[in-house]
Amino acid sequence: MMLVQFLVSLVATLSFAALFSAPKSELFFCGLTGAIGWIVYLLFLNFNDSITIANLTATFALTVISRTIASLRKNPVTVYLISGTFPLVPGAGIYYTSYYFIMNEMSQCSKYGMETVKVAGAIVLGIIFGFALPQVWFNALGKKAG
Amino acid sequence: MAVTKEVLSLAVETGDALLRSGAEVYRVEDTVMHILEAYEIEEYDVYVLSNGIFASANENKEDACSMIRHVPLGSIHLGRIAALNQLSREICSHECSLIDAWIRLEECKNIPNTGRKSSLFFCGIGCGCFAYLFGGTPLDALIAFFTGFFLKILLLRISAGKTSKFIVNILGSAFVTFLSLLMHSLGLPIFYDKVIIGSIMPLVPGIALTTSIRDFFNGDYLSGAIHMIDAILTAFCIAVGVGTIMTVYHFLIGGVLL
Repeated sequence: MMLVQFLVSLVATLSFAALFSAPKSELFFCGLTGAIGWIVYLLFLNFNDSITIANLTATFALTVISRTIASLRKNPVTVYLISGTFPLVPGAGIYYTSYYFIMNEMSQCSKYGMETVKVAGAIVLGIIFGFALPQVWFNALGKKAG
Repeated sequence: MAVTKEVLSLAVETGDALLRSGAEVYRVEDTVMHILEAYEIEEYDVYVLSNGIFASANENKEDACSMIRHVPLGSIHLGRIAALNQLSREICSHECSLIDAWIRLEECKNIPNTGRKSSLFFCGIGCGCFAYLFGGTPLDALIAFFTGFFLKILLLRISAGKTSKFIVNILGSAFVTFLSLLMHSLGLPIFYDKVIIGSIMPLVPGIALTTSIRDFFNGDYLSGAIHMIDAILTAFCIAVGVGTIMTVYHFLIGGVLL
């Protein structure tokens, strides 16, 4: 089951990275970060029901992975980070919020609205924590790869 | 005297290209500053917004100059960001003369988008996979593949003209909703909401919202607000598109609203 999820999220991230014209040689790595983020998200969702915590840990993991790959492949982190967050970003949440807003179902609207804001906040915190690790560690990795 | 101006316009032009490809505000600001420093300009000031660049150099000297750029919010192009980053790295390590830098910059700006056919294919695949990830069945994913595919055809067709982004979003999401409801009423056992969610993934402003909150955390409140308003308006347009078709559908089949 996890393997299917891993593959599907890999392909999903890879295709959206291609839509955003990522360099062809990096497509697979973009997909890989996305898939790892999604799997961490699912694992934490199994432990407890809080999607905020799950999103926080998942983005933290994928930021670290993105930085690792970025220094190995000598490319800016953004390429992997933006693609990697595709499966996690609350696109569906934003959509549900505005959908229920238009359909005049205010309780649903505020429920999804708050959730979306919390998820977005968690993702950003995850990214910030991920960037808080010293760059020296990643530079060492880059040098080893030559 | 001409040199300061030349360097400043190279730096700002690079920043402009980065911003257009969807790089973060702080990255653009850093790049512009690094390029100015690499060509030995000591006095400078750079202010970057998510849709504009303001920069000045050598204000107190004879060759003072300043530049302002308006950069409309564009679509993300990761390939260009990677190439421009490489270029600025080379400039900073003094491997690149000013003339070479201009040529390289033009090359970076002309990196093409993903081709038409492959972008259709990838859009379909992406939509299908997301429909599955968000809890749809494999059949939903298959339908989402086709709706995503046709959505991209529609998007490429409309955005060839100078149609407003809002119209594009409304039409796109309405089209997707129409297709999935059509499949549903033809008797296919699909969860049409999953198909719709999967297929509107290329439109929803998830990245814009996250970028906006990152800007807030970096202290770029104005850029954050610009991205936030962009995200909210885009989401609103998508919901209008989906909502209209849903309402008409429920009216036609005479059912109650969801």
